[in-house]
Amino acid sequence: MTSYTVSHTVCSVHYMTPGTDNHELFENLRLELRRGSLVLAVLAALRKEHYGYTLRKTLSERGMAIDEGTLYPLLRRLESHGLLVSEWREEDKRNKRFYKLSADGKEMLKQLLTEWQGINSSLNGML
Amino acid sequence: MDLVDSYVKAVAKALPEGQRDDIIGELSEDIRSEMEDKQQELGRPLTEEEQEGLLRQRGNPLLLAARYRQDQKSVAFGRQIIGPVLFPFYVKVLSFNLGLTFLVVAIIFTALAVSGQKVGFNDILSTCLLQLFIQLSVVTLIFALVERHLTKHPDRWHVKGMGGKFRLDLNIERDIQLGIGSNFREVSRFESLSIIVACAVAIGWMTAVQNFPILILGPAAAFLKLAPIWYQIYFPIAALTALEIVRAIINLVRPDWVRFRSYYGVFVQAAGLVIVYFLIKAGHWVEAANSGASGAVNFASTVEIINQVFLYALVGTAVFSGVMILIRVMRLVRQSHGHNGPAGVGARAKEGN
Repeated sequence: MTSYTVSHTVCSVHYMTPGTDNHELFENLRLELRRGSLVLAVLAALRKEHYGYTLRKTLSERGMAIDEGTLYPLLRRLESHGLLVSEWREEDKRNKRFYKLSADGKEMLKQLLTEWQGINSSLNGML
Repeated sequence: MDLVDSYVKAVAKALPEGQRDDIIGELSEDIRSEMEDKQQELGRPLTEEEQEGLLRQRGNPLLLAARYRQDQKSVAFGRQIIGPVLFPFYVKVLSFNLGLTFLVVAIIFTALAVSGQKVGFNDILSTCLLQLFIQLSVVTLIFALVERHLTKHPDRWHVKGMGGKFRLDLNIERDIQLGIGSNFREVSRFESLSIIVACAVAIGWMTAVQNFPILILGPAAAFLKLAPIWYQIYFPIAALTALEIVRAIINLVRPDWVRFRSYYGVFVQAAGLVIVYFLIKAGHWVEAANSGASGAVNFASTVEIINQVFLYALVGTAVFSGVMILIRVMRLVRQSHGHNGPAGVGARAKEGN
């Protein structure tokens, strides 16, 4: 089961019960659901080195659009936990900050992916 | 300064200082990369409106900056009154106000102690608590109103009018006292509203002090009173503050009257300097409350010390006002030489005005 199926299921449940409150509730639940997935998506995308903008584009192209107000604070948090390493480098005559997974980050990604797959198969069994 | 710099600077103002440069470098790079992509897609440079549109998509600079903050503190009584976005500014303004108030209280009590008057712990405590209550109530009320406005209208901000000094920075006191901000193409309606509230509170407080000097003198009001000069200058100061409210209302209706505010700023500063001149000329600013000979003798040295402190403060204020007038006039002259657009009051301000 992918994140798409999860959000699609929540979406179907939502449309069964009309009303603005439900729409708001759906939005909150959807965001909650996405939040956990975003960390995984960012870590996975950073197996390859990226700077902020290309990372944002990559995620968007893969269906995980994220605004910069969410991405950059998240990158900072992940870096402060030692999961990412970053360096400022000049590219195309502009200074850019490049991020990639640290050794700890690679290990964490492995563990999280195992967890994610476990959750997916459990949910698949239930749905 | 281009729109991107303007936007980025507005974000920077609300960022924690330690991370500011880093975040700003990255944010600026992200915006420019996005604009370059868009330009390539369109095959031409972006118009100012298109650039503005991209920046607006990123949202209110204050809200964006708040997302970088790890400390999400807020003030809540049952429900949230001041959220994490405004909380750092709230603490800053409150600390400044309380610091200044306690400094005045400390000066009064030190003067009393030095001149041999008995200063009780209870007197100090009750004065400090009263001031704390007043400041806390007023500042919290103002920020609660601002928070309400921000929550209701998160999209009410101007890209064009920021000039690196986004008007939701909420340093209300600084804006009122220094009147910084003639470098905008529009006066933010939020700023105008803040000034109206702050000036109304100031007039209320000044009027209350007239009848209840204890609000400023604390327990020393039992044996000290304000000199007549304060009652004489009450109306000029109140009128000047009321005029500031009128100016803010005008700018609320016509935010594009930027030069009107600049000229008015010079007028207010000059009028303030005249008031300070008359204050200095008065020679004394507090006197013994007991008009009898014994009262005057008992508190003579207290009165002298406090008056001395007032003199230093007023001279400092006069010098500061003089410098500010000079800066404002120079800025206005530079602007009128540097721009070919209409310069008169009411003219639509040009970029960088």
